[in-house]
Amino acid sequence: MIKLNGKQVPVSKDLYEISLLDFIRDQVLLKGTKYGCGQGLCGACTIHLDGIARRACQLNVADAVGHEVTTIEGLAGTSGETGSDDLHPVQKAWIAEAVPQCGYCQPGQIMTAAALLREKPQPDADQIRAGMNGNICRCGTYERIHRAVARAAREDQS
Amino acid sequence: MTYTPQTLDHSRRRFLIKTGWLAAGVTALTSCSGLIPVLPTTANPKDEDGSSWIQILADGRVRFLCPRMEMGQGATIGLSQIVAEELGVTQDQIECLAPDSDQLGPFKMTVGSEGIARFSGPVAMGAAGLREHFRQLAADKVLLPFDQIEDAAGGFTAAGNFIGYGELVPDQARIIGAEYRADVVPRFADRNGNSRAIGKSWKSPELKNIVTGQTIYSRDIAVPDMLYGDIVRPPRYGATLKEAINRGAETLPGVVSVVIDEANDLVAVVAKSPFVLADALEKIETTWQSSPDEIPDDILDVSLYRTRGDFEHSLMDEGSARSADKAAIAVTSANYTTSYMAHAAMEPRAAVAWVREEEVEIWCGCQDPYFVRGRVAALLKRDQKEVVVHPLRMGGGFGGRVLCQPAEEAAVLSARVGMPVRVQWDRETEFQHNYFQPKFSHAIDSGLDEAGHIAFWRHDFVSSPIIFGLVPSPFASILDAFVADEGTARGADMPYDVSEHKRVRYSDIRTGIPTGAWRGLGAAPNTFAIESTMDELAYSAGKDPLAFRLSQLENNGGNSKRLSEVLRRVGKMADWGKSVDKNLGLGVAAAVYKDQTFVAVVAEVRIDQQREQISVTSLWCAQDCGLVVNPDQVENQVLGNLIWGCGMALKEKLTFNEGAPGQLNFDSYEVLRHVEAPRTFIELVETPGAPPVAVGESAFAPAVAAIANAAFAATGKRPRQLPFDYDSLQIQ
Repeated sequence: MIKLNGKQVPVSKDLYEISLLDFIRDQVLLKGTKYGCGQGLCGACTIHLDGIARRACQLNVADAVGHEVTTIEGLAGTSGETGSDDLHPVQKAWIAEAVPQCGYCQPGQIMTAAALLREKPQPDADQIRAGMNGNICRCGTYERIHRAVARAAREDQS
Repeated sequence: MTYTPQTLDHSRRRFLIKTGWLAAGVTALTSCSGLIPVLPTTANPKDEDGSSWIQILADGRVRFLCPRMEMGQGATIGLSQIVAEELGVTQDQIECLAPDSDQLGPFKMTVGSEGIARFSGPVAMGAAGLREHFRQLAADKVLLPFDQIEDAAGGFTAAGNFIGYGELVPDQARIIGAEYRADVVPRFADRNGNSRAIGKSWKSPELKNIVTGQTIYSRDIAVPDMLYGDIVRPPRYGATLKEAINRGAETLPGVVSVVIDEANDLVAVVAKSPFVLADALEKIETTWQSSPDEIPDDILDVSLYRTRGDFEHSLMDEGSARSADKAAIAVTSANYTTSYMAHAAMEPRAAVAWVREEEVEIWCGCQDPYFVRGRVAALLKRDQKEVVVHPLRMGGGFGGRVLCQPAEEAAVLSARVGMPVRVQWDRETEFQHNYFQPKFSHAIDSGLDEAGHIAFWRHDFVSSPIIFGLVPSPFASILDAFVADEGTARGADMPYDVSEHKRVRYSDIRTGIPTGAWRGLGAAPNTFAIESTMDELAYSAGKDPLAFRLSQLENNGGNSKRLSEVLRRVGKMADWGKSVDKNLGLGVAAAVYKDQTFVAVVAEVRIDQQREQISVTSLWCAQDCGLVVNPDQVENQVLGNLIWGCGMALKEKLTFNEGAPGQLNFDSYEVLRHVEAPRTFIELVETPGAPPVAVGESAFAPAVAAIANAAFAATGKRPRQLPFDYDSLQIQ
């Protein structure tokens, strides 16, 4: 079993060796976690494994068995806020700053940012850049991402 | 066979035949039959097209079948705002859809930053025509004259009573469109500063879906009973399949079909599960053959052609070389080179195809769905009318998704197995099997007269075809004999005054490496060479680079004024002329994109002597792009352009070895990352009355050049080859 976004998902043993990313996308059919490079270089597939940001393309299903996995679809549920329309503070900040262009990398960026803020609730500008550095945005929205992370930190504090 | 430049024939086509590279293509499946090749959709939109794009639904909401493919550039938002302006509706009253290929007639491929520039007019005419049609329906309903039906939000007022669009839709009708009316006046064209939608920063309606992972991209589409396919692709451009031996791929659980078709260079596996594909392909041994010749890396070297004056195209040759040479006192000559580059969009492409007897359906993201339709029809020998493309949002495009090769692959496999098939490219395939921005090699000679004006400007360059890069042989050789590739030459006509002699010549040479549209086409390479030379001239004359540029912008009327204005503005923004730390350097560059968008950029570059690194710390950009429909979207586009400028200047480079790229993922093909992203400062200058123009690629080119010029200011070493770094500048 993998606890995926709060629900126990049974896993057959013959899938243990496939990548967690393929499992999430093509077995569980949650498409929000993106494939970008398959090598852990771009961060598009970032998920949380027991609350830590990890690259799903670099994990096997077996690595997640018995653990908690959160994907972008389940992120809002981890913020402690209630109500089905509620978003995670990081997602709200992303909307407020109108970050995305194509948007493809943004679920991964958001997952990295949420884990970063859990670890460092009030990061400075350099910590935001360093913490986000594993996530590529080819459209070039980096500055808006930095603003959104800072906003999420600020609004979380208030 | 060893290649020696001395044996280079004047006719490139013979040369290419000799070296056997003429047959190179993008993928093994591009050999569509037929006498006339399927070409991208290039006809510009006309005003009357707009009426087929916009309808009113029974509930009074507006349906907009947007004729632009969305890949993050925001054209769907800007055009929705034009619709809203004409019909007086709010954002939530518009349903903006990506039309299936059988819902609308072909519209031009989504390229060239033309979404607003070319489509706002027809969209406005279509929406205004629909508004006037409904005004007539309102007049008929309340039995008042047409001119007593007044505009109101979401409909009209007549004698003080509101009539919504929904009330005017007849009971049986679900959707109402209107015929084209040439006599309507769009509010868009007759704007008096009280817009409802234009000039507002509407946010993408897709934002919430993006941040919650609900947006459906090409890779996310699933069709019931879909199978999964993958193909063994040639390891080298132009390689053909010699032999394929199947060592039991079909025995793996879930494998439905193993396809080995040597006549068509096709080796593939189709399975019930995507997880078995890689293992199954591993069990098939393939041998490929290709020409023994390698593409010589140095064929795109302007010096080889310059010594003989052997250029295929003359962009211009104005004035007299003799009097220019007499007038010039300070002369500069230099060569500049830019690299092959990849689009590297974050989403590697994918498609689902379902080939049935009565219809072929394709789901994919593509900059030209009608091109996909045509190519799939040719490949399957079906009528285009039987092929329907359902377009999806793309995870980045940048010119790289005019083709959708996985759609063609999936179609071929689906035709064989009779079920819907999904094909997804991995990152390595995305690098290896797409087309690229070609390398550019420039030489510019220029000289100043006694008064400090540019007396002559002679710019020669060689690169490869861009707009016609994808035209297959043998058509390409026929085309090349008559047509100069304007994409390769984009931005090559420098905007400054030249008093005596201005000449620009170039050759667009096919090398076997697939080349095609990439952000801005030739603009960034050409601007880099031009604006570096301008900088050299300024320094050689002992002039401030910004003041020098302004002094060369006096004789070209309105264009000179608008370019001067953004130069002055960016100078103010960056506090140009201030003294900076000795490890910092400021550089400036300017350009006019597609003769319509005026941009100036100042870059600040930091040299870290200890770490031996160069970084871009700040970029200031002033852009005059006429009417700004959505300031926030435009600023986001400019931001992306500036980041691309950093990447091209400092990082991006693709090399080729034996007909294959040497970089296949983000470890070796490096794009800009978070820690390298500079602070940016963006101001939009709106020249009153100027129409909206291209913004998706405009700020990129001057950003590249400004960074190079800033590096010179900081180090005294001029970057002549991109990308550059601390080592290549030989700072120590």
